[in-house]
Amino acid sequence: MDKYSLYAGQFLPFAEYIRGHNACKGSGTALAFRHVYKALDMTLKNKTMIAWEKCTVEQSHLSSAGIQPHVLCIPKSNDKNGNMLHVYFDAEKTDKKIDAGVLIKRMPAVAEASGYAYVATAAPSHPFDLVDKIKSAWDADGHAFIHMLCPCPETWGFDPENTVRMARIAVETRIFPLYEIAHGYYQITVDEPNTRPVQDYTKRQERFAKWKAKNVNALQEQVNINFKSLKSKASKGV
Amino acid sequence: MCDLLDTLLKAEKAPLHQPETKLELEPVWDKDLCARCALCYVYCPDAAISRQEDGYFSADTELCKGCGICHRECWFGAISMQEVD
Repeated sequence: MDKYSLYAGQFLPFAEYIRGHNACKGSGTALAFRHVYKALDMTLKNKTMIAWEKCTVEQSHLSSAGIQPHVLCIPKSNDKNGNMLHVYFDAEKTDKKIDAGVLIKRMPAVAEASGYAYVATAAPSHPFDLVDKIKSAWDADGHAFIHMLCPCPETWGFDPENTVRMARIAVETRIFPLYEIAHGYYQITVDEPNTRPVQDYTKRQERFAKWKAKNVNALQEQVNINFKSLKSKASKGV
Repeated sequence: MCDLLDTLLKAEKAPLHQPETKLELEPVWDKDLCARCALCYVYCPDAAISRQEDGYFSADTELCKGCGICHRECWFGAISMQEVD
């Protein structure tokens, strides 16, 4: 742990864009949203450029998975080609039974394959990583996509005070690894040396109450495979 | 389900949160333990925590919902959740 970690908070801009909202108590989406806007303020140095009216929210239903995504689309005002910054706030709200398909994220790979110049995953538990990624996404030459994990205490079933902790455990168990793909080059930005088993994540949430040991083991295997392939891509630099 | 983005983006100014029940717990800082690291400020989802003139932090009770993230994330245990009178 380097010495700046302690005083980390003082390096974020102190400007606030959100004064009061109707989100639930301890909402991960609200926290992520706040940091996205702080990061954009850092880049732009012009508060009027991020007006609420300029943003459009696309709400569509991914019917196969039963997931209701929140996507924030911000036109890049520094880009003449009309490129967009897409931030996907993933609260994993599903109508169906929870399974590994919801937890393992495919969207970054899909976005990378469909020609996004910059793709990254981010979580509000690592705010500086998040801010860096939003900044790189803003400066990227082309469309950019950020996949944001937003823990939701109400639907996931844990105490509101554990929101940030739950996002951190998701990163540490490698269920939600933090990485970025800039023009096809993979890089793992937060590589925790001490990984946790997947049980640490599942046992803390009520939505996994019906899960049996075999489900957890299957998830662990899938997480290991995914991280191995991610690691090999990152080491190749492709 | 909270339609946060809807609320934020449709209205020019998002309305203040009006909880059905009153705030039960509010964070209280122990200035002897506080290192002014601003981690509570970083992790507050409601942007309720602000820096005071003396460098310490305090929560705006109008915005605070009492989630307790600051209490959980404080490295020094300087924040305790106390019942509102």
